[in-house]
Amino acid sequence: MSRASGAFERVGLTRERRVRLLATLAVGAFLTAMLYYPVASVLVEAVTVEGAPSLDPLVTVLTDPFYTGAFGSALADPSAIPAGLAAWAANGFSWPGFGLVGFTAWQALLSTVASVALGLPGAYVLARFEFRGRETVRSLTAVPFVLPSIMVAVGFVATFGIDGTLSDAFAAIGLPRFSLLFTLELVVLAHAFYNAPLVVRIVSAAAERLDTRTLEVARASGAPRWRAAWDVLVPQLLPALGTAALLTFVFTFQSFAIVLALGGLQLATVEVWVFDLVQSFDLQEAAALATVEAVVSLSLTYAYLRYEARQARGGSGRTLDRLRFGAASARTRLAVGAYGVVTLVVFALPLVSMVAESVVGPNGFTLRYYEFLVARQTTAASFQTQPLTAVRNSLLFGFGTLALAVPLGVTVSLLTARGGRLVQVGGTLAFVPFAVSGVVLGLGLLQSFVFGTVLFGHRIVLTGAFAIVAAHAVGAYPFVTRSVSPLLARLDPALPEVARAAGASRLRALWDVELPLVMGGVLAGAAFAFAISIGEFDATVILAEGSESYTMPVAVERYLTERSLGPPSAMGTVLLVVTAASFVVIDRLGGAFDG
Amino acid sequence: MRRRSFLLSAGAGAAALAGCLGDDGGETTETTDGDGAGGANATDGPTTGEGTTSGTTTGTAASVSGTLVVATYPTWVEGDSPAGTWVKEAFESEYDATVEYTTPDSRFSYFIRRAAQGAPIDADVYLGLNVDELIDLDEKAGGDVLSPLSVDAPVKEGLQFDPQGRAVPYDTGYISLVYDETTVEAPATFDDLLTEEYRGDLLAQNAQSSATGRAFMLHTVKAKGEDGYLDYWQQLQDNDVRILGNWSDSYTAYENGEAPMVVSYSTDQVYAHQAGADLSRHQVGFLNDQAYAQPEGVARFADSEQQELAQAFVEFLLTPEAQGEIAQRNVQYPATTNAELPEEFSKYTFEPEEPVTFTYEELKGNVDEWVDQWARQIAQG
Repeated sequence: MSRASGAFERVGLTRERRVRLLATLAVGAFLTAMLYYPVASVLVEAVTVEGAPSLDPLVTVLTDPFYTGAFGSALADPSAIPAGLAAWAANGFSWPGFGLVGFTAWQALLSTVASVALGLPGAYVLARFEFRGRETVRSLTAVPFVLPSIMVAVGFVATFGIDGTLSDAFAAIGLPRFSLLFTLELVVLAHAFYNAPLVVRIVSAAAERLDTRTLEVARASGAPRWRAAWDVLVPQLLPALGTAALLTFVFTFQSFAIVLALGGLQLATVEVWVFDLVQSFDLQEAAALATVEAVVSLSLTYAYLRYEARQARGGSGRTLDRLRFGAASARTRLAVGAYGVVTLVVFALPLVSMVAESVVGPNGFTLRYYEFLVARQTTAASFQTQPLTAVRNSLLFGFGTLALAVPLGVTVSLLTARGGRLVQVGGTLAFVPFAVSGVVLGLGLLQSFVFGTVLFGHRIVLTGAFAIVAAHAVGAYPFVTRSVSPLLARLDPALPEVARAAGASRLRALWDVELPLVMGGVLAGAAFAFAISIGEFDATVILAEGSESYTMPVAVERYLTERSLGPPSAMGTVLLVVTAASFVVIDRLGGAFDG
Repeated sequence: MRRRSFLLSAGAGAAALAGCLGDDGGETTETTDGDGAGGANATDGPTTGEGTTSGTTTGTAASVSGTLVVATYPTWVEGDSPAGTWVKEAFESEYDATVEYTTPDSRFSYFIRRAAQGAPIDADVYLGLNVDELIDLDEKAGGDVLSPLSVDAPVKEGLQFDPQGRAVPYDTGYISLVYDETTVEAPATFDDLLTEEYRGDLLAQNAQSSATGRAFMLHTVKAKGEDGYLDYWQQLQDNDVRILGNWSDSYTAYENGEAPMVVSYSTDQVYAHQAGADLSRHQVGFLNDQAYAQPEGVARFADSEQQELAQAFVEFLLTPEAQGEIAQRNVQYPATTNAELPEEFSKYTFEPEEPVTFTYEELKGNVDEWVDQWARQIAQG
């Protein structure tokens, strides 16, 4: 260590740059081992044919009209473009269709719009008003995010189906019954169910730190209220909103199980095909398609980071005070009430239906599914899945993930906070865990960790608790980074300089000055890091292979025999309750640091 | 006679195996005194002097002992009264052996990938193998991952799906329609499903990833031919068939009244009866009086050091008593003709007049293409 620092001294690195370099190396090494290597071991198939470098697999996918529609046809046969364009014009410029990739992007875009529309008012309410239970509501927003798709599907069918709660309500007042099942609308709504909470958390965290000085100046110089808010507040919120929208797009772009459960194969996404290709051992095409998928997400991320970097930096003056809700105008209260009804229908009804599924049998109320869980807990053989073991593992891994992902995420935020394109490329690479297909990451982990990698003649196998926590941390840290970065970007760059001028070291300035100002983002990120860990399925089930390291979602899946939905619903309800309680605790603990 | 020949070959296997263990330094704990002697006379087989005790009593506890790692799917061990628990207890009470279950999430694919990558196989037996997985294995990992088994049991005709005799069927399911007789009458033929009467009435599953979905799609290939099934599905799509991700997706929708027919198992009423549900919503319908048979097989890994114990385990699975228990607990049909089943079993389960299925040879080289064409058509529709 001292020799290393001696070397740094010789090449004239300052202490700060040394810390930076070491941090970069440590983060890079960890991510390479846990993420880039396993993913690359699968995706290499996309750019090689029988061991030799080749673009053929990618070209095959890009020119297949099934995947890329009109784009593929044009690529496959450029000479046919004029004729194709003429035909298109003759058809009255109908929507040309861009194949599976195009449709996937389209539904992701719709889902993003819906999530923002549903989440933004929630963020406003949480940031603007003070009311009883505000903290708890904020804590519970993360709950939908962790729910297994089987449960969400059950809840949505029971709410929006032909015999669902909404349809019942319509019938009760003499309107015709209806079903939203098998429609794109319902898939989009389910995506909003999962992702609107993201928008709420990330945007409200930013809104609580709004700088209102300029607002007062604008108001004082006679600008109307809305105009002042638009000019002053919106630019401050855009980075957070952009982040939330970007995350939503990337997540829903890879959506898969929920699409098949509520929409059907007619609304298939790219990930459905990646999964199928992996299952049928067509690794070349799977890798190529997953690469196209990741490139779409990463390009968008890069474009967004470029945009974010150009945003003006604000100061950090007085923040917006929260109004007591009772003191708000009647119109505002009415609007908030209407929004409340919408959230009740979209969030509360499906959640209640999920719980109901676990206590209702064919002949009404029953506790037999919970009796099953209790029996399984008390009499299970070693090879069977015990509910409490799953709960304990989920919580352990969740907190382990917090402990690893928060420092990792904040470090990446700080490393990528300021700088030019190189840093933005780094920031984009840090986003890889979200952009890469979960199916591909799972396969990578299986091949390189579970099967083992031969190093120096020894097969090194990595499974069980530590591997799972590491994998979760890799999947979760971008949340912390993305929640913190927009806040960090808004900080006045002069701030730490002031502290340092007053004699504080760089790290001291960071700890005392910068971190407290971005704590809201750290907390939002931490809550979602925990949520990612609790809800993660692909990597967990693979790394838990043959061990006792199964988690709650894995237990839900294992109880789902191909005959009965009762036991998995009961286990899913346990998951729901445990997770909700954990979020409240995390936020309370976190609140103590947040001041 | 066949049974005796098996005993001899198993005994030889034991001796050869013991020899291997000896060379390795005998690190495994399963070796018995007899094995040690057998090791010294590996080529002589079980009839040599010191080996007598182990050799002649093969098939009972003396030589088949130790731990048997059985890889399987979760349903075998989870659930209310899983078959796996009974089989483990019953087998262990008969043999000086321990059965350990493991349930890899990706099922048999897990082992195909391990074999293809040259990673060691960490199980002795795989239980729950189907013909598709066997084809994948042979295409991706070569044919020597499993070792052939020969079991003397009256297996029903048509269930033996492995031409090389590695996978032995232990039960079978039939994929049929389950319908709500309060809403629809059972369609009799595939063509009936295309009529206006059944518009929007059928829920099926994705043949790419769902066992029931794949069986139903293969049934249409059987009924309409390789050249006709896509046209048939186009017409089904025009009649608003819905293809969801897996069995539970479609069954959730069915139970919530989204459609009155769902592709499911012909044993559906067993569960409905256990749950006390109204059976009129759980009627079983066969198209063309047929149903697609889906036998499940058990196979032994060639690298396993428990070749005989595995053989004994498979033989045990096919005994009349085990066949009856497995059928009832797994809610499937026995693979053999002499299973001990209570009268009641046939009351809630239905067998088609004509079970249909594709053979290994018919599927090999075709099934991936059939599924892919089908899925592309649905996804674009």
